[in-house]
Amino acid sequence: MKRLSIVMAIALGLMAFIPQSGQAIPAFARKHGFNCNMCHTAFTKLNDYGQRVRDNGYQLPGQEGREKNVFQIAPPISLRTSVGLFVAHKPSTESGVKSTTSGFHLNGLDLLAAGVMHKNISFLLIYTPRIDEPRAIYQPGGGDANPSQLGALESANIVFSNLIPDALNLRVGRFEPAYHPFSSKRSYYLLQPYEVYTFTTPGNDFVFDDNQIGVEATGHLSDGLKYGAGIVNGSGPNPDNSNAKDFYVNLSETIGRGDGQSSGQRVGAFAYYGWQPARKYSLYIAPMGDEDQKNNKLFYRLGGDVSLNWRTFNFKALLLHGADDGDLNRTLSGEDYSFTGGFGRLDWAGLMNNRLVASALFNWVQPPDYDDARTIKAFSVLGRYYLGDWTAVNVALHCEYTYRKVGDDNGDTEHQFAALVDFDF
Amino acid sequence: MCRLLPLLMITALVVLAPPAVGQTGQPPITSVPVLSLGPEPLGSLPPVVAPPDNPQTTAKILLGKKLYFDTRLSKDNTISCATCHDPAMGWSDAGPTSKGIGSQLGGRRSPPVVNSAYNPLQFWDGRSPSLEEQAKGPIENPIEMGNTHDVMIRTVNDIPGYVEEFKQVFGTSPITVNQVAQAIAAFERTVVTTDSPFDRFVRGDDAALTRLEKQGLEIFNGKGHCTACHWGGHFSDGRFHNLGVEPIDPAKPDAGRLAVTKDSADFGRFKTPTVRDAALRAPYMHTGGEKTLEDVVRLYNLGGGEEDDNLDPLMVPLGLSEREVQALVAFMKRAMTSINPEVADVKPIPAAELPK
Repeated sequence: MKRLSIVMAIALGLMAFIPQSGQAIPAFARKHGFNCNMCHTAFTKLNDYGQRVRDNGYQLPGQEGREKNVFQIAPPISLRTSVGLFVAHKPSTESGVKSTTSGFHLNGLDLLAAGVMHKNISFLLIYTPRIDEPRAIYQPGGGDANPSQLGALESANIVFSNLIPDALNLRVGRFEPAYHPFSSKRSYYLLQPYEVYTFTTPGNDFVFDDNQIGVEATGHLSDGLKYGAGIVNGSGPNPDNSNAKDFYVNLSETIGRGDGQSSGQRVGAFAYYGWQPARKYSLYIAPMGDEDQKNNKLFYRLGGDVSLNWRTFNFKALLLHGADDGDLNRTLSGEDYSFTGGFGRLDWAGLMNNRLVASALFNWVQPPDYDDARTIKAFSVLGRYYLGDWTAVNVALHCEYTYRKVGDDNGDTEHQFAALVDFDF
Repeated sequence: MCRLLPLLMITALVVLAPPAVGQTGQPPITSVPVLSLGPEPLGSLPPVVAPPDNPQTTAKILLGKKLYFDTRLSKDNTISCATCHDPAMGWSDAGPTSKGIGSQLGGRRSPPVVNSAYNPLQFWDGRSPSLEEQAKGPIENPIEMGNTHDVMIRTVNDIPGYVEEFKQVFGTSPITVNQVAQAIAAFERTVVTTDSPFDRFVRGDDAALTRLEKQGLEIFNGKGHCTACHWGGHFSDGRFHNLGVEPIDPAKPDAGRLAVTKDSADFGRFKTPTVRDAALRAPYMHTGGEKTLEDVVRLYNLGGGEEDDNLDPLMVPLGLSEREVQALVAFMKRAMTSINPEVADVKPIPAAELPK
């Protein structure tokens, strides 16, 4: 019984990695009659055309005001989910437990709505409903039911496009911020796309991967030079977060035609500068604010990225360096906490209309020496084959494998495997 | 911690911000009438709608057909509409550009008459709002038919057979320029092809397309990005785009739509032609510079032609493999070629059978 419990715990624990929301938006494909691969290399990864459409507030570039708005079409609602088999194998752990678990699981569900309301005014809304399928590993905030997915408004934003044509678009609300050079939400990977995006430092609730609430400006400074800049609350459960606003910028230059998604060669740099409260709000203490100007402490994330394209190959890499003020460091108080991480990824698309994609991904996160138990190295590969016809290729047969090691040389290793059907409509 | 970082970031943005000139987001084209909002899904063509002031009648269509093939509308009795819009050449001509009166070469490829009834605007640059207006243009064009409307009308009014037929059709005499144009337009509205393998496929005949053509259709509507502009039943948005096509004379690039709107954003933009029956009318583009459909697809695969500040933001490299190119071409070659006998069998009316 105890062994079964461990097996179940690990299997369900694996599910904690799964609910990565995707942002393929079939409502647009339906509106225009486009096949998914008009905007995606293969869903959910955007191609250059799709990137331009997203940047342009979900309007076709150069065609603003000449397509139907949300009042002239059926409700622009889409859904995405995936279901399948998940297997986890731990050959060794520091506690000596060896285990293999497997189970069929329904992943989270995304309800998406997006559209153009008026010329150059559009919206995106993504709601993830609460799903009360329990998971073994307790997730804070889930309550006693410990649901596999919490109800959340992942995105709710309005885009004011072309305030200065091609040079200034404003996104207001909760959104996926522009400092993500590569979207984890539009990645093929479902187990754990980018480790460094979800790596949290001790005492700092900021998660690089989180969507943000605030306002963001994006646009082109010249033909290939793109910028993004925003002011946001920052992430984390503590209400004091919003007392001091975080801000960020990113710049990217694309050489050659395209936007660096599926053609052209792109290099970029990004910086996030934020504040986190050193003292935590709890059930018994009201939000403290920052009257003494000492509660909120600084942290930053800096990095660079590159996306190279050749034929239907796409190589992308990201390097991120993060540092937290010593007052946020719960592991070695008073010492600034610095870490480095990143990933390299190679994608290939083949067969007619990119019906088959394959990808390899290497992730790593290197914390300071005194915290090397949190070192992460992971290697993943995947293949996706798409079913459908000329109207849509929206059903993906997905196989993914990850080898993941956490800790130093004696750390825990794990093999994760998923075979599932990923679909949206 | 570095408290100067915010200042540095803002400074970097300000310093790096030159005046905005983007290739990916040109200003909206407010000067183009929006006759239909789109894109719309690919499908069959709806019935042709004739304008209320020029209803279709059998007699008018037949009269228009005679005028279409009549060289007497030109200055020297050598050029008819059909000279450059030949049914045997896909209702275009051998190209690359058309040869008009005195063997003068035109500056652009002859646009196809087939399915032109569905164009919201006529000519490559959209300077004409209707088929009726379009029909008047070439008659007066000095390098096409080289005539004047006055001379042409005198000529037609001097032909008793025409006078009688026009009176039957329009109930008035003498013949006017507008009546000539209306009759030709009425005929052109019958030059409609609706029965391609693609049409039969979307009506439910799965065997109408081969496997390769189905793959080509999927690419056409997906990775090939063709339906970004070639959408709806007409396989055309009726709008204007700059594809970076190499001009015939690089020293004198064709301004395209700009000549009509005087809007610099329209420089080098030309109307999207229909893909229907495209296989029947090589060469392609407004210059006739692309000899085959393969050449056309390869141009798009590169993300368009020459570097051009006004290149359409819809143009991006496609990453099509050779097999995907062939599938796309296979779809356009056979699956988009109609077999409407009433159109395919249109033969020139011999001069001896034209009104005397």
